Amino acid sequence: MSLSTAFNVISSSFAANAAQTAVVSNNIANVNTPGYSREIANVVTNSYGGADVASVTREANAALLEQVSSSTSQAAAQQAISNGVTTLAATVDDSSSTTSTSGANQNGASPSAMLANLQSALATYADSPTSSSAADAVVSAASDLASSLNGASTTVQQVREQADQNMVSSVNTINSLLNQFTAANNAVVTGLQTGANVSSAEDTRDSIVTQLAQQLGVSTVVSANGSESIYTDSGVTLFQVTPRTVSFTPTPTLVDGANGAAVTVDDVPITGANSPMPIQSGALAGYAALRDTIAPEYQAQLDQIAGGLINAFAESDQSPTPTLPSLPGLFTTPGETSLPSMTATTGLAATIEVNPNVDPSQGGDPTLLRDGGISDPGNPAYTYNTTGSASYTGRIQELVDQISATQSFDPSAGLGSSSSLADYANASVSWLQAANQQASDASSYQSALVTQATAALSNATGVNLDVEMTNMLNLENSYASSAKLLTTVGSMFSALLQAA
Amino acid sequence: MTTVGANFVSTEFLANSLVKPVMQAQSQLTTAMTEESTGQYANLGLQLGDQSGYELSLKEQVGLLQTLTSGDSLVSTSLSTAQNALQAIQSGAQTTLQDLATWTPSADSGASLQNMGQSALQSLISTTNATSGDQYVFGGINSAVAPMAAYYSTPASAAKTAIDQAFQTAFGVLPSDSAAANISASDMQNFLSGPFAALFTGASWTADWSSASSTNTSAEIAPGQTVTTSTNANQPGFQELAQAYAMLSEFGGSALSSDAQQAVATAASSLVSQGVDSMINLQAQLGSTQSAVTDANNSMSSQLTILQDQIGALDNVNTTATAAQITSLTNQVQMAYELTSRLSQLNLAQYLPVP
Repeated sequence: MSLSTAFNVISSSFAANAAQTAVVSNNIANVNTPGYSREIANVVTNSYGGADVASVTREANAALLEQVSSSTSQAAAQQAISNGVTTLAATVDDSSSTTSTSGANQNGASPSAMLANLQSALATYADSPTSSSAADAVVSAASDLASSLNGASTTVQQVREQADQNMVSSVNTINSLLNQFTAANNAVVTGLQTGANVSSAEDTRDSIVTQLAQQLGVSTVVSANGSESIYTDSGVTLFQVTPRTVSFTPTPTLVDGANGAAVTVDDVPITGANSPMPIQSGALAGYAALRDTIAPEYQAQLDQIAGGLINAFAESDQSPTPTLPSLPGLFTTPGETSLPSMTATTGLAATIEVNPNVDPSQGGDPTLLRDGGISDPGNPAYTYNTTGSASYTGRIQELVDQISATQSFDPSAGLGSSSSLADYANASVSWLQAANQQASDASSYQSALVTQATAALSNATGVNLDVEMTNMLNLENSYASSAKLLTTVGSMFSALLQAA
Repeated sequence: MTTVGANFVSTEFLANSLVKPVMQAQSQLTTAMTEESTGQYANLGLQLGDQSGYELSLKEQVGLLQTLTSGDSLVSTSLSTAQNALQAIQSGAQTTLQDLATWTPSADSGASLQNMGQSALQSLISTTNATSGDQYVFGGINSAVAPMAAYYSTPASAAKTAIDQAFQTAFGVLPSDSAAANISASDMQNFLSGPFAALFTGASWTADWSSASSTNTSAEIAPGQTVTTSTNANQPGFQELAQAYAMLSEFGGSALSSDAQQAVATAASSLVSQGVDSMINLQAQLGSTQSAVTDANNSMSSQLTILQDQIGALDNVNTTATAAQITSLTNQVQMAYELTSRLSQLNLAQYLPVP
């Protein structure tokens, strides 16, 4: 080995040291950047026996990244459902009024509680059928029940419209992320071809995939040239060299029975019942489930309760030989002249009202509750109290019993086909609160998973400041040693030249 | 380059690792404090899930039982009013019976019979028209109308006119006519048990005397238990007593012979005695309803206790456990603050000499 070789080694050492310092600086600079993958300088021995930084590796972990994005999608879907169901559950909230143990609102404001109040009011009226205040109380309990059904119905509509709005912004976010992804992906592909450092472009790609995962479940595949393709968790292509168009037409008003549009990718629906490949997770899937499945099912139950009420309180022909059809009594819908079929109850919960003929605030006569004839005042066929007795309680008692009597419901609403009105209303509350509990539990479980997966990813690919500081101290020492070596070799050269 | 192993922890994770637990503990703390102060779960619906409907149905049962219990107190009041009235009618009848037993035609021309009848009939009518609240207790379901019409009135009541007509038809004269003195005791007996008695039953009774409905009021006193909660003025007891008092009032002190008057007194005496028995029967009927109401209330009150316990088991938190939870959560949060502050000191840069 000659002294000049030693010079070459020292100079390569300075170059390698500089390259490693750059990597350490870069790592330290990004210590708090979420999603940053730390870089490692790979040092190799060169032909002179010195050191060169051959390459810079990015500490990536595809498996953990996949776990983060899939748990993020699941958590986002459950969170979206949970938010919506919590709003729906506010219509049956009964914890706010637990302090009062009696009175009109002892059970809260749910249709179920209002039905119980109506039954109590009727029972009180049955005990004092001559009391006009007891009759008024029944009418007011009935109108509270009708408004609670109207209100719940409005809430369902709002939740569905909100979900539809959220789907619009979700689709916009997806499209904008896919465009950003195009730029980052091109940078990676070109960088790999030209041998440039693509770490930062790869970080950007990973970060976009994680953001996409918020909106919908995705899986990714990297091809041989470094280009990454994105598919939905159901297998529909979202990005392959170029982004696909995700489109959605919002429906501004989603009344009971109206269906919202599906989200499509290249005209293939990815949400809704008609989708061949529906997405499974992500906020978009959550909003779609809320808009198309959960809220409409609750709406159907409300409609069944409304239809059941109109039928239970219907008045039948009391003539010895009945010829006239039964008509809506205490409960009706505007302009209704016949009883609704239980298989066609759509829209009833939104429009159910107390029959104006019995409502004193609309000029009606509450005592028709006792005597009958709400459906058609003055028509003797629908009069139950034929003797006009003040203490006739037959009809009132019949109405009290009707609430607990078994009747038929449409099983497609999900709560069975035969039950009493009171039990059906309670079952609806149970159904909703169970959905609420399930969504809330799933949401907290999935976000715990996100936290764990993110922590694991951060520990696998993140930066530890102390490690980088130690590296920096090493580099400092090696720089100092190299400098010392350079001075020593220099003085050796001088001595040699003086001797010569 | 320093190699890293399985123990690698990223600084970002280390710095943020305590944020999430602290937030979680704080949110649990607010929930626990709400539960501590109310004694119930903070979010009942979320806590109960599919049991919410069951909990609601328990509350509804409580509401229904409370409604029935308060309804029962109305029923009890009206039953007591009816019982008191029946007792008054029965004791009035007993007094009349005693007075009739001591009455002889030799001692009195009949004026005291007439007084006896008049005052007894008036008190029968006013007692039968007893009310509870705004309802006539003996009206049956027709409780808004006084069940017995006034007898002594101007112009003459329908009942009085009917009696006069019947007498006229039978004997051709009015009781006050001196010719009535010729009516024999047996003819009088036949009249009293025939045309006269017919005025106090069936359609004549409901037309002239009573506006009550023969259908009694009924009420649900406990879930599924409906009982008849009244009796009505169309019961035989009322008819028998009205008949007895009316015959005393109309024919006592009239122009009738003392034999005929004796026959009137005898007939009245037997009717009053029948009436007393009928009243005792009615009292027994209402009494059994009263005890049914009391039993129903007792059983509903124990059911209420059971239901409230069940609701409590679903809704209520264990306050001791909640208090302990609050203490441990507070400790946890304090610990996390302490650790965060120490972790921020744990940095190699702090220990390197400044060049």
